[in-house]
Amino acid sequence: MKGNIIKYAQDNVDTDVIIPGQYLKVHDYAELATHAMEGLDPDFHSKVKEGDFILSGKNFGCGSSREHAPIALSYSGIKAVLALSFARIFYRNAVDGAFLLPIEIEQDAYDAISEGDEIDIDIATNEIKNLTKNQTYKMKPFSEIIGKIISAGGLFKYKPDQD
Amino acid sequence: MGKTLFEKIWESHVVVERQSGPSLIYVDRHLIHEVTSPQAFDGLRLNNRKVRRPDLTIATMDHNVPTNDRSLPILDQTSAIQIQTLEKNCRDFGIKLFDINSPNQGIVHVIGPQLGITLPGSTIVCGDSHTSTHGAFGALALGIGTSDVEHVLASQTLWLEKPMPFEIRIEGKRKNPHAVTAKDIILSVIKYIGTGGGTGTVIEYRGDGITDLSMEQRMTICNMSIEAGARAGLIAPDEKTYDYLRHREYTPKNYESLVDSWRNNLKTDHDAKFGKQFLLHIDDIAPQVSWGTNPGMTCDVTDAVPSPDEFSKGDPNQKKGAQKALDYMNLKPGTHIEDIKIDRVFIGSCTNARLEDLIEASKVIKGQKISPHVRAMVVPGSQMVKKQAEEMGLDKIFIDANFEWREAGCSMCLGMNPDILSPGERCASTSNRNFEGRQGTGGRTHLVSPVMAAAAAIKGHFVDVRKMDLS
Repeated sequence: MKGNIIKYAQDNVDTDVIIPGQYLKVHDYAELATHAMEGLDPDFHSKVKEGDFILSGKNFGCGSSREHAPIALSYSGIKAVLALSFARIFYRNAVDGAFLLPIEIEQDAYDAISEGDEIDIDIATNEIKNLTKNQTYKMKPFSEIIGKIISAGGLFKYKPDQD
Repeated sequence: MGKTLFEKIWESHVVVERQSGPSLIYVDRHLIHEVTSPQAFDGLRLNNRKVRRPDLTIATMDHNVPTNDRSLPILDQTSAIQIQTLEKNCRDFGIKLFDINSPNQGIVHVIGPQLGITLPGSTIVCGDSHTSTHGAFGALALGIGTSDVEHVLASQTLWLEKPMPFEIRIEGKRKNPHAVTAKDIILSVIKYIGTGGGTGTVIEYRGDGITDLSMEQRMTICNMSIEAGARAGLIAPDEKTYDYLRHREYTPKNYESLVDSWRNNLKTDHDAKFGKQFLLHIDDIAPQVSWGTNPGMTCDVTDAVPSPDEFSKGDPNQKKGAQKALDYMNLKPGTHIEDIKIDRVFIGSCTNARLEDLIEASKVIKGQKISPHVRAMVVPGSQMVKKQAEEMGLDKIFIDANFEWREAGCSMCLGMNPDILSPGERCASTSNRNFEGRQGTGGRTHLVSPVMAAAAAIKGHFVDVRKMDLS
């Protein structure tokens, strides 16, 4: 899976900046997407392209349980968030609805990858290739069950009794 | 080896256990509200599914209800639609709803315990991260997203990887328990362990600093577990817990026999092991005020705003975060907290809008007026809290001091209804999150206890409430 990086070089990107509270009344996901990241980066909507990835630091998605957060990113075109760590409810919401891939990275990848870099994520080998810089980094593998839910396309498509 | 309270509750609710990965956990109570449930009901309809246990599902409307005159129509059309949608969903699926006109309406985490719906040893979920509040009763209470809300509606179960038990021990006696509150204890904890300090864990709060607290104070502690990143926070039930829940509207009929069993079972064994531990002595802690844009960016009221270097202790991202927070909050390092002037005061939210919070705040303002430059409001956590407060005459104390006295709801905690800050306004708030824009775009939030908020309203700036007469 290839895409370009939008980098937020900070920890604690919270759900209230990913999708501010006043938009939790919006049920149309395409409209919700126009407000994604509005609290942190008002230019996000104009610069994000289908297939982009977000790169950020520790505790990404902390705060509210609003599933609107991964939904707003997903409908903006974001296919994966690469972060040093995730808040658990955000991580779970992202996987449940198969909205985007929450990928835990190591410090080397966080430091080396820059805004705009083209990245190739391979979840079979747990490798992240930086095509712009010609580097390769390891990602933390998904746990078995998370991998299965993601492959199935979300919680409601995954059938545990067929394991 | 012995077991922790969390492990005992977990084991008594496992439906399917796997060798690795998540277990399927039974859910005893599912609380729902208007914001995170509509898509879940849409999903049920799409797949022709029913609500498996409507009798264990309870709904209220809190996040975007107006807190002014309820006899008027709701002006915000999108809010009105969300509220009507919840009414229809509850009608169609046979779920009990405490609607906007119900005397039981209120913030979901305030009404659960008040109605005796929250019970020790149970599992409780809600599509809201502050569900951890119910852990004060020795329940395993988890915030979930909308897909999981749908999963619980359909199956009354939840897939969950077993979190690690984390002991936070609070020891000692506060010298002035009216001025140094449960809010100051939990803000101190988050200040030390950080907003990610509890990630992947269930916290059990223990020690004499916890058992000394009232039930309402314990709820403030457990409420903010999520601000440390924890999955849940809980406190072992004791006689205070059992007394609080006795004779509530939905207290089970066999309550005394349940209490007998809880007394025997709901405690951590002496030889149980926690995966992580933290100890805080509270003899000398001061009232806390957040200065930044997450709850870990907090200091004593007697301190000054730290510099990014002091705060970050060498971590480059922390330093950057602190600088960004100072810019957003328009604060300079070295500014004494007591010199920070405020524009607004919000006493409300699932953290601090219960009766005891309002009683304590009213003692600070009784017979005084708020600063002429300040606009202040009290939003009781529930209509029951509001009624009890009015029976005690607290409404008059607040109104005489020029506070606005509102109807119950989440209100300015999260800026979904018209109760919001204007850009640049600075608020002393009893809520739980000081994220950028949380209380309205460009609004600046300082998290404090109810008595600290009340004191700031009177003085127009933060003040060490220990210096005021609270007798």
